[in-house]
Amino acid sequence: MARVCLIWVERPGLEGLDPAEVAKRAGLSLDPGGAIPAAVVTAPEWAAPPAVRSRLAGKPAQWLDLAGEVGGGPAEKRLARAAAAVARAAGRAALGTLPQVYTAQPAQTVLVAGAGLAAVAAARQAGLLGHPVILATPFGRAAQAGADDEAEEVSLLAAQLPAQVEVLAEAELRHLSGAAGDFTAELQTPQGAQLKRFGAVVLAPAGGYAPPELGLDPELAKPVADLPPEGLAGSPDKWLQAAVIAGVDAPATADAFARAVEAALALQARDFVQTTLLFSEARVASEGGERRYREARQAGVIAARVAAGGLEVAQGGRLLKWRDLLLDEEVQLRPDLLAVAGPVAAALPAFLANPVLWPAWPQLVPEGPRFSGGRTARSGLYIIGALRGTAPGRARRVEAAAAAADLHDRLTQGRATPVPSVRNTACASCLTCVRVCAHGVPRYGSDAIVCAPAACVACGMCAAECPAEAIAPPGWSNPELIAGLEAGLAKSAGTKAVLFACGQSGAQAFAELCRQGHEWPEGLLLYPVPCAGRVGMQLIMKALSSGAAGIMVAGCHDGNCRSVSGNLRARLRAGETAALLERLGLGPERVEFLHLASNQPRRLAQAVDRFVSTLG
Amino acid sequence: MTIISTPVLILGGGVAGVSAALELARRGVPSVLAEKGPRLGGRVRDFCCKATQACVHCGACRLGDLLAEAAARPEAAFRSLALAAEAQREGGVWQVELRPQPDEGEADPLAQPLAEKTTVNAQAVILAVGYEPFDPRRKTRFGYGRVPGVMTALELEAMLGQGVLVGHDGQPPESVAFIQCVGSRDESLGNLYCSRVCCGFALDMAGLIKEGWPETAVTFFHMDVQGYGPSWEEALPHMRQAIDFVRAMPGEVSAGENGPRVCFAGPDGQPRSREFGLVALSQGLTPPASAGALSEMFGLNRNQDGFLGEDAALAVSGAQGVFVAGTAQGPRGIVESIDHAALAAGAAMESLFRAGKEAAHG
Repeated sequence: MARVCLIWVERPGLEGLDPAEVAKRAGLSLDPGGAIPAAVVTAPEWAAPPAVRSRLAGKPAQWLDLAGEVGGGPAEKRLARAAAAVARAAGRAALGTLPQVYTAQPAQTVLVAGAGLAAVAAARQAGLLGHPVILATPFGRAAQAGADDEAEEVSLLAAQLPAQVEVLAEAELRHLSGAAGDFTAELQTPQGAQLKRFGAVVLAPAGGYAPPELGLDPELAKPVADLPPEGLAGSPDKWLQAAVIAGVDAPATADAFARAVEAALALQARDFVQTTLLFSEARVASEGGERRYREARQAGVIAARVAAGGLEVAQGGRLLKWRDLLLDEEVQLRPDLLAVAGPVAAALPAFLANPVLWPAWPQLVPEGPRFSGGRTARSGLYIIGALRGTAPGRARRVEAAAAAADLHDRLTQGRATPVPSVRNTACASCLTCVRVCAHGVPRYGSDAIVCAPAACVACGMCAAECPAEAIAPPGWSNPELIAGLEAGLAKSAGTKAVLFACGQSGAQAFAELCRQGHEWPEGLLLYPVPCAGRVGMQLIMKALSSGAAGIMVAGCHDGNCRSVSGNLRARLRAGETAALLERLGLGPERVEFLHLASNQPRRLAQAVDRFVSTLG
Repeated sequence: MTIISTPVLILGGGVAGVSAALELARRGVPSVLAEKGPRLGGRVRDFCCKATQACVHCGACRLGDLLAEAAARPEAAFRSLALAAEAQREGGVWQVELRPQPDEGEADPLAQPLAEKTTVNAQAVILAVGYEPFDPRRKTRFGYGRVPGVMTALELEAMLGQGVLVGHDGQPPESVAFIQCVGSRDESLGNLYCSRVCCGFALDMAGLIKEGWPETAVTFFHMDVQGYGPSWEEALPHMRQAIDFVRAMPGEVSAGENGPRVCFAGPDGQPRSREFGLVALSQGLTPPASAGALSEMFGLNRNQDGFLGEDAALAVSGAQGVFVAGTAQGPRGIVESIDHAALAAGAAMESLFRAGKEAAHG
C-alpha cells in the first residue's frame, strides 16, 4: 500500500479534515510531489486541477468524490469515513501498480507443424538460431515429403537438422491459441495428447496438387506429377493422343504451367505419342519457364490456346472441344491420355474455425506487402508452403528463412516489444480488445485480460476501441495522448488543423516532405500515431474541443494496414464523427480521412493544403 | 587506406541489399553494406505508389519501413559512394577493396560516405547489385528515341509519380498503349526468359491512368498475361473490362499524324495500325551492368540468362562464401526481392556457422 499516495484536492465538503491524518489512518503516504506509482485523489477527475490530471496521465489513479463519502456529523465520524473510503480506493489503485498483468518471459521453443521442404527448412533455420524446436510431422519421419515436394531434397535437408530440433512423429496439431511468446498447442501423438507452451508457431502442412474441377473422369485424367506411365508408347499405326491441361478456366499459376510443360515434354518424348498442351495463358514466369515452353513447342507439342472457360469437356474428358483462336474453327480432340495441372493446396487446420480464439481467421493471411515471408497478422504465427499456395522449391525456402529470422528477432527482444498495460480496476471484461487486436495480443485468462509478452506492435487499436479506457500499449493511452495533444496545441497558438498521421504511411510521408523543405500551411499541427486505427472518436472530438478547426487522419490504403483493419476503423470513426458534426450543425467537412502510402508525400501535401484552405 | 573487418559484406544498397543487412541483423549477425551511389533504396526509390482505392501490393512503400528499421539496427553499417573494385580470398576471408566515388552532394542520412580507399575483410559476401532495365534502343522497330510520344514504362512511371500524364504533343493523351515484353521472351536478343513483373507493373499503371484520366483509352499489347500474386489474379477480369487487351506483338511503331502509329497483326492475322497519344514500352529486366566484372572478381558463375549465381534454390553462387540476393539473381518484384534476401542471409549465416565449426575443430 506504500506505493499509493494520497493527493489532496480541497473541495467543498472537505473542510476541517486533516489530509495528513486521513492518509495516516488509511495507511497511505501523502503526496510527496514528483513522480508517483499510483494515487488516490480526493476529487472526481473532472474537478481536479489540470496539473494533477496531466501528472497522473496513464497512472493507476482512483478519482474519489470524497466529500460525498464523508458527509456531515461529528468530526471524528467524518474522519473515520474519509479514511475508510480512501483505504478502499487505495486498494483498487494498488491493483493497477502490479507490474503489467502478464509477467512471464516469452517462451523460446518453436513449434513447426507440418512436413516437406517448408517445414524442414524452417525447423533447421530456427534451430540454427538457437531455439529449441519441435517439428511435429504427420508422417513417421521428418524426411518424408508432401506430394508437392521433391523427396530427395527434403531428405537431404532432414539429415542436416541441428540437435535442437526434436522430431515428433505421427503428430497432429489439434489445437492452438495465443500469440508470440505465449502459444499453447495441443499435440496428439500415438503416445497420447500433450499441452505445450511455445514462443512461435510455423504452420507448414504438407501439400498436394488440387486438380481443377472440369468434370473429368478420374480414371482417365491424372495429375501431371503421375505422368508418363511406365512403358507408354504408341505404334506407327496407332499414335497415342495425349492432352495436358494447364489452366483453361482460369489461367494456371507459373508453377502449375511449368509442371504441365514438363509433363508434355516427357509425353512427347515417347514413341508415337502426340501431345497437346491446352491453356488460356502461357504462364512462363517461373525460372527457366520460357526456355522449357519453347523446347516443348520445338519438340512437337501442340500449344492449343483456349479462351478462358472455352473448353468443352464431354464423356469425362474422352472428348475435348474448343474453338481455335488462330484458325477461328471448332477443334476436337479424343485423348487416350489426359493430364491435369492444378495449383498446390493444403487443408486449413480445423482449430482456426474457433471464432473466439481466432476472431479474424479469414484475414489471418493478408495479401498485403507487409505480410510476405510467411508472416501473418497474428504475431508469432507463420504460415508457409502449400497452405499459403507457395510454389514448391526455392519460394518455400525463402519463406522458411524469413519466418525463422522474424520469429527469432521477436522472441529475443531484438525489437523492443511493448506489452499493453491493463487496468483491471476499470476493465469490464467485454473482450472488445480481444476482438479488435489482429495480432492476438490480449486474451481472456481465468478472470482477467492477459497480454502475450512478445506480440504487441503498439498499434493502439485496443486503446481506441476499449469503452473503459482499460487497456493501452505503453505511451498510447487516452490520457497520455490527450496530454500530448493539449501540450502541442498550447505550444502552437492559432492551430487550425490537426493531422493525425499513421506511423506506417502518413508520418513517413510527412517526414519526407520536411526533408525536402516543404512549406506547410500555417496552423497545422502534426500528431504522429502508431496506426491510424488509434484515432478514435474521442481523440478527434478532444482535438476539436481544444481549439482545432479541422482534423485530418492520414492512414494506409485499403489492404495495406499492418494491423489489418486500423485504416478501415479510422475511416469509419472519422465518418461517424463527421456525421455527428453535421447533426450538430458544425460542418462535416471538418473531419477527413486520407488514404496514403509512405511514398506518396506529394499526395499528402496537396490534400493538406486543400484541407487547410477549406477551413478558412 | 582503412581496413574494416566484418562477418558479411553486402554489395548494393537497393531493397535487396538493405533487406539482406536487416535479415542478418535479425539473426544477430553484423554486416557492412557498400552502395556505389550516394543514396540507399536503389531503383525502388523512383517507384510510386500505384494504389487507386486499394493497395495493389506492389511493395514500393516497404522501402520506408526498411530504412526506418535499418536506422534502428546497430548491427548494420551502411557506406555510400563505395564501389567494389577488387576482391581476393585468403584463408577463408574475402578481402574486398572499396573505392570512394565522386560525391554528388545528395547524401543519405543513414549511410556514411566512403572517405578513402578501404579494404573490407569479410567471411561472406552478398551480392545485391540489382538489375539493368533493357535499353529499348536495341529494338529499333519500336521507335524509342526516334518517334515522339514513345517512352519507356519507367519514364511513364516517373511522370505518373509526379501526377502528370502528357503524350506526344505535350497534352494529356486520349489513348495510351503499353507494349509488353520489350527485351524479354525475345529469341532475336537471346533473352529467353520472362521478366515476371512487367505485366503487373504495366497494368497497375494502367489502373492509375484509368483513375486519374478516366477518358483516356488504354490498350495493352502482350503475348501472355503473367500473373503476379493471388489478388492480382482476381483483379484481372476487372482490368479486362476497363482496358483493351490485344494479344499481338506490334511489328513497328512509327510517327503518325496524331501520335505514334502502332502496326500489329489483328486476330485474323491481317495487319492493322492504330495511332496513340502515348506508347509505353515495358522493358524487361536484364542482368546488372556489373555482372561481368563481379563474376570475374569473385570467380563466380552466371546462369543461362546472364544473371549472377547458378544455384537458385540456395541463393549460392559458384564461389565460396558468395551469395546473391534480389534481382541480381533473376527478375523478381519488390516484395520478392525483399524476401529473397532472407534466403541469402540465411545461407550466409550457415556458412559462418560452418566456418566457425571448422575453426573450432582445428
